[in-house]
Parts: sequence; C-alpha cells; structure tokens
Amino acid sequence: MTTETKQIPCLGALCACLCAPVHKPEGKYLDTLPGLTAILLAFLTLSGLVLAVYYDPWHAFASVGFIGHEVNNGWLVQAYHATGATALFGLVYLYLFRAMLTRGYRAPGELVWGLGVKLMAVLLLVGWLGFVLTGGAAAYWSLFKASNGALALSGAAGAIGGWFFGGPAGSGTLARLELFHAVLAVGAMAVLWLLFAARRAVVPRAEPGQGVAFFPYYLAQYLVALAVFALIFSVLAFFTPHLGQPAVNALPADPLTLPLGTVLPWYLLPLAGIAQALPGIWGGILGVVGALAVLAALPWLDRSGPAGAKGGLYCVFTWVLAADVIGLGITAAARNYPQASLLLVLFTFWYFFHFLVLTPFVTAIEAK
Amino acid sequence: MRRFFAPLLALGLAVAGNARAEDTLSPLHFQSDGPLGSIDKAAAQRGFLVYQTVCAACHSANALHYRDLEALGLTPDQMAGVAAGVKLADGSAATLDSPFKDPAMPASAFGGALPPDLSSIAAQRPGGAQYIYALLTGYATAPDGVTMLPGHFYNKAFPGEQVAMPPVLRDNAVTYADGTAATQSQEAADVAEFLTWAADPNLSTRHQIGLRAVIFFAFLGIVAVISKRRIWREGR
Ligand code: HEC
Repeated sequence: MTTETKQIPCLGALCACLCAPVHKPEGKYLDTLPGLTAILLAFLTLSGLVLAVYYDPWHAFASVGFIGHEVNNGWLVQAYHATGATALFGLVYLYLFRAMLTRGYRAPGELVWGLGVKLMAVLLLVGWLGFVLTGGAAAYWSLFKASNGALALSGAAGAIGGWFFGGPAGSGTLARLELFHAVLAVGAMAVLWLLFAARRAVVPRAEPGQGVAFFPYYLAQYLVALAVFALIFSVLAFFTPHLGQPAVNALPADPLTLPLGTVLPWYLLPLAGIAQALPGIWGGILGVVGALAVLAALPWLDRSGPAGAKGGLYCVFTWVLAADVIGLGITAAARNYPQASLLLVLFTFWYFFHFLVLTPFVTAIEAK
Repeated sequence: MRRFFAPLLALGLAVAGNARAEDTLSPLHFQSDGPLGSIDKAAAQRGFLVYQTVCAACHSANALHYRDLEALGLTPDQMAGVAAGVKLADGSAATLDSPFKDPAMPASAFGGALPPDLSSIAAQRPGGAQYIYALLTGYATAPDGVTMLPGHFYNKAFPGEQVAMPPVLRDNAVTYADGTAATQSQEAADVAEFLTWAADPNLSTRHQIGLRAVIFFAFLGIVAVISKRRIWREGR
C-alpha cells in the first residue's frame, strides 16, 4: 500500500475494489450501457443546470430563444441537452431491448429488469416535462391537453393531477414543472443507482484465479464504448441538433391554432400512440400505465423458468415487438391519413397480445 | 424610404466581387445546405437587404436584434445606421438592442392570415431555405377550375396552393451594392439564405466544431480499441 491509500482509507477501498480480479473475462461491450447511461445522466444534469440558470418559466419561449441567441455558447448547451435526451432514450431503449433478447430479465435478474423499466418510466416523465418547458407551439398544446385531461378526472386522480399542474395550464404552470423536471431527474439517478446495486448483487462472479480486474481490463473496454458513444453523440449534436423534435416547436405557442403534424419528441411517440388508440382520458391513462405494467411483468409472463432454453421463436417475436413499437411511433408521428387510427389500434393490440398471450404460451411451449 | 436604407446600400462592400462570380440559381443550391454547409455571408447580407426593404413591411423577426448583424459582417457604424433608419411604433428610432421591428399587421388585412414572425421560419417549415425560395418564386395564374378564395393568390409551393401573401418580389425590388443582378429569383434565394441564418445563427460554427469533434473521437476510438486489445492480450 502506498502512503496515500493509508492516509485516505476510502481511496484504499476504491483501489482494492477496482483491482480485485473478480470479473468474468468475457464481458460484452453492450454491458457498458448502464455505465454510459450514468455518465450521460450526469452530463445532462450539468447542461441542465446551465440552462436552468438562464431559463425563465414565466417567459419560457422567449427565454429559450434568449439562451440560444444571447447567452455565450447557450446554443451549444441547448444542443447538448436536447441531444443528450435523445441519446439517453437511445441507451435505455437499447438496454431494455437487449435484456429482452438475451432474456436477462429472468431470475435472478427480475429486480434489475423492474428497475430498468422504472428508470424508463421516470425518464419518460422527465423527458416530457423538459419538452414542455420549451414553451413552443407543440409543447404548449401538449401541456394544455395533459393538464385539461388531468383536471377533468374525478376523485383522487383528479386531485393528484390538479396538484401536479396547479390548475389549468397558465404562465405559472411551467415554474412548477421546471421544479419537477429537475427533481425527477435526480430521482432517475437514484433509480439508476439502485439498478447498479441490484445488478452487482446478481451478476455472476468469476471462479477464483479465473477473473480479471476492472482496472485496467474493463476500464479499457469502457474507454472504447465511451469513445464510440461520444462519436455518435457528436454527429447527432452538431449535425442534427433537432433530431426527433417536432419542428412546429420552433414557433411560439398560439392559443388559437392547433399545430399540425408531429407534436411530440420521438421517444414519447410509441406510448402516445398507445394512449391515442384507446378512447377517452381514462383509456389513454390506462393504456400508458398498462403498457409499462406488462413490460415490468415480463419476468413473470415468461414461463420458461430461470434456466429454460432460449427459444428461437420467442426471439423472433421479440423482434416483431420492436417493429410494432417503431410502427406505433411512426403512426403516431404522422397521423395525417385516414387509416392511422385503425393502425394505432392494431399496433396497440399486438403490443398487449405479445405480452399477455404470446409470451406465456410461446415460452411455455419452447421450454418443454 | 430611400434615406433609411442608404446605409444598407453600402453593405456588402466587404464581400463584394466573389459573390457575383458564383451562380447559385441554376441549379438552385445554398451554401448552408448539407452537413458541412456554412452561411454564405454575402448572400445573407443581400438577403437582409431584401428582408428589410420588402418583407419587414409585414413580417417581424423578433428573435433578431440589429446588433446581431455583426455576425453577417456589418461594421458597428453600418448596424447603427440600419437601426437608426427604423421607426418604432412610438415614433422613436430603433437601437442596436431593439428586436427586428414588428410591423403589427392586423390579421384582418389578409383575410385572417397573420404574417408569421420570420425568426425561425426556415427551421420550422419542411424544406427550409428551398421551401422559402419555392414559395417566393411559386406564384402563377391559377389553373382553370381552381376557385380562388378572396384575397388569396395562387402559389404552387404553398400547402393548399392558395396563400394570403401577395407576390412581393420582382426584379430590381432592391439594388445590391455588390453588383449582383437583383433578379426575382436572386432576391428569393438571398432572403432564403438570410432566413436560414436567422433560424440558426450558429450553423457555420456548429458544423466546424462538429467536424473537429468527429475527427477527434474517431481517432480516440481507434486508439482506445488498440489499447484495449493490447491490454487484454498481454494480461492473459
Ligand atoms: C404585404 C405583406 C407581406 C409581405 C411584404 C411579405 N409577406 Fe410573407 N406573408 C404575408 C402573409 C399575410 C402571410 C400568411 C399567408 C397565409 O398563411 O396564407 C405570409 C406568410 C409568409 C411565409 C409563411 C408561409 C407558410 O408556409 O405558411 C413566409 C415564409 C413568408 N411569408 C416569407 C416572406 C418573405 C421572405 C417576404 C419578403 C420577401 C415576405 N414574406 C413579404 C404577408 C407578407
């Protein structure tokens, strides 16, 4: 032990932890996804902090314009924050999809999977709040519909909605939503931290003498993953900073004109498609909650047992589900043709059919 | 009017010459197009002249301030001259810190269609600069069988093909200081480039930084892959 580690005990513990040869040597690059997510969340928090310093919820649209035009490098921080959101959902969706394909959600990974779904749910809410904070035409109408819907509910749900939005959407609404945006983002970090803890508890350890240490082996792997991620991020941030954002949001809100075309950022579109496919406010809410609930229930819907075979047919259906979710998003984005509503219903039906019927049956049959 | 824009006519001197040499109209292209595009400052300066002389009568661009014109290559004196020539609603002259003037057109003047603010129109309308060019040059006589709404003009590029904005550009609507021939299509292309800059003033810088970042991270990625392989090979 060097003197430093003797004087600062936690440093010694950290070194011992980093250098302990306990990891299996066959780690995959995609295992770094949660780590990248954590780094990106920290990055989003920092860029969000810079934006929050200049943001004025009472004049949201004007202040977003002010940050973009007047604040030194404000446009750059905006591009980082917006692209960060896109990249974050890219990572989280990829992480969950990979767990579905490799069936990593099965015991003992159920808790990790559940936390992953929870992380996605919290981030979706944070993402929507951030989008609403821009105060553009699309954001205004999204907030208008959501708050009106929430206030129209009766009973406890209406009370919660009324408290969350603080009444019909007005100039003060964004001030509270800014707070929720920030606090829930910290909440997402907490969920991610739990996910790490749960993952560490179940990840298989190497046999004594067979393992490798984090330093330098997995550190080197992380650096590769980080460089590739940073490369993709740069392409997105510098060449398509508005990717997946509704273009109408570049306009100020006009309370008299409902914007045409796509009105939500890409990562909200599949869920929005499910919400639109079901009738009424309650239909929409139940659709969203149900869609997340069946996803979280996947470890129990899969009947193949912890050590069951990874059947090929179910793998195909998982890919079909991915196509279905993309279809939901695309249809929800371009609702300008008459068959769109029918398509949304079909895609939504397939989503629930996949989880509630196909998953138990196909996995049970394949496990035999 | 003449007096207001006298300083404007002096614009473009800094970039005069090379601007005229290049023909961007046939085929139509913009220097700002594409992943490595940058704002053509000469064209954007000319476009500002078109905006200020023609469009500003009906359209505001209130995300822009007169001081922002520095980014297009105007000197402080030129900018001050531009601002001084603008009369605000209360009768006073604009300053460098005023946003581009809002002419406060009543919607009733155009059958309910309010002239939109042009600050970010290029980012908002699909097609951006190409669309603005097509809109400004897309006026024609309505084909037989099309019933025109009152106060509307037939325009191939506008969704629905009937637009409340009259055809405002014509040859020599402005006089360019750099000697570029002010044809209708040249004016349309220039104002489209100007509005592209207005919607995305950092386009050039963004692309420059982006190129460097991509090269840097690609290089870093290669180094990281090599070192990772070496570490894993030597370790076992
Ligand atoms: C006489 C007033 C007037 C002038 C001058 C004028 N416009 Fe317009 N403009 C309008 C009106 C009115 C509309 C709304 C049209 C509609 O919605 O039907 C409009 C709409 C537009 C639009 C939006 C079209 C769309 O897709 O909705 C653009 C872009 C535009 N103008 C650009 C310009 C430019 C560039 C100039 C200067 C070359 C200009 N306008 C000069 C009145 C004017």
